[in-house]
Amino acid sequence: MKNRAALIFGYNDYALEIAKNVTDEYDNVYLYSLNSEQDILKNRSCFEVKSFDLSDRWDDLNENIDIQNSIAFCVLEDSAENIFLTISLRSSFANLNIIALSNNKQTANKLQMAGANKVIPLVQTTAEMISEMLQKPIVKDVFHKILFESGALKIAQVKINDSNDYIGKTISDIDWSKRYGVMVLAIVNEDMSSEFIYSSKIKHHIIDKDNMFIVVGYEQDIKEFEKITGSICD
Amino acid sequence: MNFFTRWVVNFAYFLNTSEAYQHKKRFVYDILENDKYQYKKYFDIFMMILIFLSIAILIAEVKSEMNIYLRFFNVYVISFIFFIEYLLRFWISSSISEIIIYKSEHATALGREFYLHRALINALKAKLSFIFSFKAIIDLLAILPFFHELRLLRLFVLFRVFKLFRYTKNFQTFTSVFSTKKFEFFILLMFSSIVIFVSSVLVYVMEAENPKSPINTLFDAVYWSIVTIATVGYGDIVPVTTEGRTVAIFVIIAGVSVLAFTTSIVVSAFTEKLDEIKEIKTIDNIRKLKHFYLICGYESVAQEVVKKLKDSNTSIIVLDEDIQRVESAKKDGLIAVNYDPGDIESYKKIGIDIDVQVKSILCLRESDIENVYTTLTVRAISKNVNIISLLMDDANRNKLKFAGANEILYPKGIVGMISKELIGRPVAFEVIHALRNDYYGVDVEEILVDDRMSQNILYVSELNNSKFRVILLGIYKKETKRFFFNPLDSTLLESGDYLLAIGNSAFMREFEKYLHKKIRK
Repeated sequence: MKNRAALIFGYNDYALEIAKNVTDEYDNVYLYSLNSEQDILKNRSCFEVKSFDLSDRWDDLNENIDIQNSIAFCVLEDSAENIFLTISLRSSFANLNIIALSNNKQTANKLQMAGANKVIPLVQTTAEMISEMLQKPIVKDVFHKILFESGALKIAQVKINDSNDYIGKTISDIDWSKRYGVMVLAIVNEDMSSEFIYSSKIKHHIIDKDNMFIVVGYEQDIKEFEKITGSICD
Repeated sequence: MNFFTRWVVNFAYFLNTSEAYQHKKRFVYDILENDKYQYKKYFDIFMMILIFLSIAILIAEVKSEMNIYLRFFNVYVISFIFFIEYLLRFWISSSISEIIIYKSEHATALGREFYLHRALINALKAKLSFIFSFKAIIDLLAILPFFHELRLLRLFVLFRVFKLFRYTKNFQTFTSVFSTKKFEFFILLMFSSIVIFVSSVLVYVMEAENPKSPINTLFDAVYWSIVTIATVGYGDIVPVTTEGRTVAIFVIIAGVSVLAFTTSIVVSAFTEKLDEIKEIKTIDNIRKLKHFYLICGYESVAQEVVKKLKDSNTSIIVLDEDIQRVESAKKDGLIAVNYDPGDIESYKKIGIDIDVQVKSILCLRESDIENVYTTLTVRAISKNVNIISLLMDDANRNKLKFAGANEILYPKGIVGMISKELIGRPVAFEVIHALRNDYYGVDVEEILVDDRMSQNILYVSELNNSKFRVILLGIYKKETKRFFFNPLDSTLLESGDYLLAIGNSAFMREFEKYLHKKIRK
C-alpha cells in the first residue's frame, strides 16, 4: 500500500530540522542523500536515510508513495542542484507539493519557475524576523507565539459550511470579537485569493458558502466559533 | 621626611582626592582638549570668533582711527581671554600633585627616602615641556599684542591665526598630512637652500659690479634667487650680464624641479592619507549620531536586514574586519568602518557610547565563533545593550546565551518551523506573513501609550478604533509584561502599555494622530 510521506532531499541541518517538525503529520519521513554511504554511516537521527541521484527516474517513489498526499522538501545546499532536483520532481509528479529552500532572490525565482509550490527564501525570512525584532518586538513576539508555539492563543482556518446563517450577510455587519471572542483576520475566496478584513475593498463583502476565515483566538473560543460557522480546516 | 615635605605630600593627596578640585580640572580638560565632550565645539567656535575679530580689527586699524572701545576690546579683553586660556592649559597639561604622590609612593615601596626637590624637578620638567611645545609657544605669542604700545608686537595678532589649529580638526588633519612627509620636505628644503645660496652668491658676484644691473646687494641677489626658484619671476630684478643670465637659466631649471618635487610630495601625502582622513570623518559622524543600530559583520543576512531597516528613522552603522565587506556596505550607502567587532579597542577608537547611542547590536556573521566573540566583547563593555545574534549551529546556542546575547536567531530552526506551518495551516501562515510585511496595504502596528495618551484615554472603550476601521488585536501591559488578546472595553490604559492594532495603513496613521491629539473633556 502506498504511504503518505514527507520526502526531504538533502542530508543537512535544514533537512533534520524539517524532519523533526513534520514527523507528526506524515506516516513516514525519508531523508534522501546524494552521498548516501557517508550519510547513512553518520546518521544519528531517527529518520531513514535513502540514496538518490539527480538523474533518478523516481520509480521507487512512484511505486511506494502516495504522491497526491505527500510533500517534498528540496533543501540541497548547492542552488543549481536544488533547482535541477525541483524540475526533475515536477516533471515526474504534477501533483506533488514541493517546498524548496533558497538562499537568495535569484534562486527563489528560478525555483518557482522550476515548479516549486512554495519557496522559503532563507536569508530574506531571517532578515524579516530580525527587522521585526527591532522595530516591532511585541508584534514579533505575539505572532511568533500564535504561529510557532503551543500557547493559549491560536490561529485557525475555518471554512463556512453550506447551511450557515451568515451566508449572504455583509462582513462589516458582524462584530466577531464581541460575539465569539475571536478575530477574523482575513477571508479566503474560493479561488484561494485572500483579502484582509480591514481593507476597504472587503467592507461590503458578502459571505459566501465557499469562504474560508482566518481567525485568531483562544482555543476554546475558536472551537465555539467553528461549531457555529463551519469546520476547522487544519 | 621633614615637616614641610610631609605637609606637601599630604596636600598633594588632598588635591588628588578632592572631588571638587578634580571635577573642575576635568571640566577644564574636557572643554579645552576633549573632542568627545559635547560642549567643546561651542568653546572652539567662541575662540575662533575672537581670533577673526582680532584680525578684522587689525586690518581696519591700518587706514583708519579705531574706536576706543574696539581697541580696548582687542588689546585687553581678547588678550586677557587668551591669557586665561593659556593659564588653564598650563594647569591641565600635567598634575604636580600626581607626580609628588607617584614619587612618594615609589620611594616608600622601594624603602628609599623621598626627596621632595626631585619630585618638584620632575613636575617642573613636565610643565616646561608644555611651555616649550609648539602650540603653547603660539598661544603665548598670540597674547603678546597685549603690549600694544610696542608697534611691532601688533603683528603678533597674526599668531592668533595659528591658534586656529587648536580649534578646528580640519587644520589638525592638514598638518598631520604634511607631518608624514617631514623627511621629503627636509630634502626639498636642503636642495632649495643650496640652490638659493649658490645662485645668490654667483649672481651677486656676476652682477653687483655692473652699474646697469639692478642687483646691487646680496639681499637683492637672494630675493631674485628665491623669486626665480619659486617660478614666480616678478621681473623687478633681472640679471643683465651674460654670466648672470647663465646662472638664471640654471636657477629656472632648478625651480621647475623644486616645484614638481613639492607638488608630488603634497599629492602623495594626501593620497596616502586620504583613506585615513575619510575614516576620521566617518568616525566623527558616528560620534555625532544620537541613536543607531550597530551591525557587526556584513554578510548576506546583514545585507537583507539593512534593506528592511532602511526606511526606519534609525541610522545603521556597519563594523567589519574585512575591508571588502566594508566596501560593499559603503556601496550600499551605509556608514561602515573597518574595525574588528570582536576587539574592545575598536569601540574605544570609534568612541561610541554603547549604552547611550546604540539601540541594538546585531551580530550577523555567518560564524558562531565570531558571533560569540563579538557578543562577549560587547557585553564586557555594556551590560544593558540589546544584542541580537545569528546562530549557525544549534549546538552553540548555550555558548551564545552564556556570552550574553538577548535574542538568538537560528535560521535552520526557522525553516523547520515554517515547514510545519506550511503543511498544517498554509493559508493562515500566508495571511500572517502578508500582514507582517505590510502587503495589500494592511499593517499591524505597535502603538505606545504615552503619558499624555493615558491621561486622555482611560479605557479601551474610549479608543474609538472602530471609527477608523482599526482592529485592536490586544494590549501588551508594561507592568505584567503580558499580552492581553481582545481586551474588554473596561481595560485600563496605562502609560508604557502598547496597543497592537491592525488596519489599513492610511487609516492606521489617522488613528495614531487621533490618539495623540485627543483631549479628555
